[in-house]
Amino acid sequence: MAPETISSVVHTHLPVLMVIGLAIFFGTIGAKIFQWLKIPQVVGYIAIGVIVGRTGLGVIDDATIKNLLPFNFFALGIIGFMIGGELHRDVFRKYGRQFFTILFAEGIGAFITVSILVSVIAMLMGQSPAVSVALGLVFGAISSATAPAATVSVLWEYKTRGVLTTAVFAIVALDDALALILFSVAASIAGKFVNPDSAGIIETLGHAGWELAGAVVLGIAAGFTLNFVLRIVRDPDKSLAFIIGVMLLVIGSAKAFDFDLILAAMALGAVLSNLAPRRSRETFHVVERFAQPIYVLFFVIAGARLHIQGMHMWMWVLVVPYIVGRSAGKIIGANLGARLAGAAPVLRKYLGLCLFSQAGVAVGLSIIAGEEFGGDIGIAIITIIAATTFVAEIIGPPCVKLAVKAAGEVGLNVTAEDLLRSHNAGDMMNRTCPTFAENTCLTDIFRTIAETDAMSYPVTDADGKLTGIITLEELKRSFSAEGLTDWLVAYDLMTPAPDTVAEQTPLIEAVTRMREQELDCLPVVAGAEDPKLVGMLELRAVNRSISSEILRRHQLADGPS
Amino acid sequence: MKISDYLTLEHVVILTGATKVDALNELVSAANDFIESIGTEELARAVWEREKMMSTGIGQGLGIPHVRLPGLDDAVMVVGVSQAGIADYESLDDKPVHIIVLIVAPQGKHEIYIRLLAKVANVLKQDDVRKAIAETDDPAEVYRILTEGKV
Repeated sequence: MAPETISSVVHTHLPVLMVIGLAIFFGTIGAKIFQWLKIPQVVGYIAIGVIVGRTGLGVIDDATIKNLLPFNFFALGIIGFMIGGELHRDVFRKYGRQFFTILFAEGIGAFITVSILVSVIAMLMGQSPAVSVALGLVFGAISSATAPAATVSVLWEYKTRGVLTTAVFAIVALDDALALILFSVAASIAGKFVNPDSAGIIETLGHAGWELAGAVVLGIAAGFTLNFVLRIVRDPDKSLAFIIGVMLLVIGSAKAFDFDLILAAMALGAVLSNLAPRRSRETFHVVERFAQPIYVLFFVIAGARLHIQGMHMWMWVLVVPYIVGRSAGKIIGANLGARLAGAAPVLRKYLGLCLFSQAGVAVGLSIIAGEEFGGDIGIAIITIIAATTFVAEIIGPPCVKLAVKAAGEVGLNVTAEDLLRSHNAGDMMNRTCPTFAENTCLTDIFRTIAETDAMSYPVTDADGKLTGIITLEELKRSFSAEGLTDWLVAYDLMTPAPDTVAEQTPLIEAVTRMREQELDCLPVVAGAEDPKLVGMLELRAVNRSISSEILRRHQLADGPS
Repeated sequence: MKISDYLTLEHVVILTGATKVDALNELVSAANDFIESIGTEELARAVWEREKMMSTGIGQGLGIPHVRLPGLDDAVMVVGVSQAGIADYESLDDKPVHIIVLIVAPQGKHEIYIRLLAKVANVLKQDDVRKAIAETDDPAEVYRILTEGKV
């Protein structure tokens, strides 16, 4: 009996839910490691996928990948939906012409460069001129697609905001449509070269038109329906069920009618965010929180699908020019497009770098092309695109990071919660807050209160240890007395501090505690075991500095660049 | 707010000691039955800790030691009168103290504490009231004057 391989054992013993659990758990660990190495976490998910997938341990094999396909569609749908949410009417009104010009330029840039390079190399490798040109056209058309998932996940991870971020959202959103059109034209011409009886250009274009138009109509109709439902259902928990339900209906219908899945989900998101910009913000937020494990699974599967052992040497010869030509084409095309449209300099410089990722659409198109060509060449197209997609998925995210960092857009899309999470209590406390010694007399206390604007004042003993606080509220309530000013001291007026935090306590925890106990101020001490007062945290001041920091970053992002 | 709510005749003592330590100890002992749950030692410690911050001899022959302690239900007062005067009280005006009012209040009742201090200070602000109390050796008379707020 042949020895059992890991994959056969796993396939026999691991139910699909366990594979999902393992993929999400270890994918997230992989992402943490890569994050620690300052590499976008999406690369970590993919790397874990490679390790557990067909190239590595074989825990996720062909059969499992097939079983998990619905999750892939779900993930693509969610990503499309989230990107749709970024496509606001006013952005298109403002930048529409620029973005369309750049889109055509970068797409066609990659198409031309890859077509020429692949044709020439195929010819040099001994293929006939007809087959070489046909291969060139197919690879060229596939190369124009950009994967939104990995690209956008980097933008989200690094909380980017600004004209480059906006342009990337818009362009990756529309890129699929361009790739589909280019592919249908190119594939039908290529088909004629290889097989004169293949479907004509009108027929394939008609099919692409059906895929795109059907997707848009489906997405818009679902968007109006969902908007109507969400106007009635205000409870976020219940609305999540409706959103996911509608999204799955859209994804399922798109698959059933052969519409473009991402485009349909994108139309759904775009309709929702444009019909009710404020209300839908909560909707997208709910979906974003829900979607994380599905993204992880999606990228782990993307890595698992790669099968390096199945690649012949000559296939690698085509992988390199494809990657190089595509990257160069995207950079040059984006640059030319941005110049032509008179777009901001950051788009000229960095946009091309953000468009390297490739995934589902490229693989899908390669399968169609593979079936069209058939035989060895058909298998080669599928295998080569699988490899180039893998490489593009690995180099794409770090390049996006590089670009948004160079454009100065990292960290500009923060929320108050992000900022609270990234600081300690010590970072935002007032170190020079007025403090009273226990024997400070009431006259001096009044003088200090008149000269400062704090809401409460810490009282310390001779060693600087916190012994209590004097709050204005308490002082006001208890102060019905005359004639006490000469002989009462801080010690008589202070009350025990209701709570304290250590300097290293995360700001979010400190603020949560203040809100829960309805405290305006919180004394900050040196450590959990060290009651020495080091400052006061004032909710008012924290809110003020968080708001102004958000405003500053948003102005930096949205201002002229 | 009435002083009689917090003071009983049994808690008016004519002081025999001539020093601040003796006088405050007499008052702490007199307060004992109110503060069984706390104990005289704890009360004495709290009283002296407060004295270390700043003397409670507020001038014009008056001393108003005051502390807040956890574990009490309500505020209590003990009054001591010394005809001879306590010379070492470290009063604000450096004069001997003749009337000492010890106020012990529960930790959480800040408002009552301050209002009681203010009430006592206001009653004893009157020269004739102070004079009449300082000159008598009858606790009942001291109690009457303080609770009525006049001579």
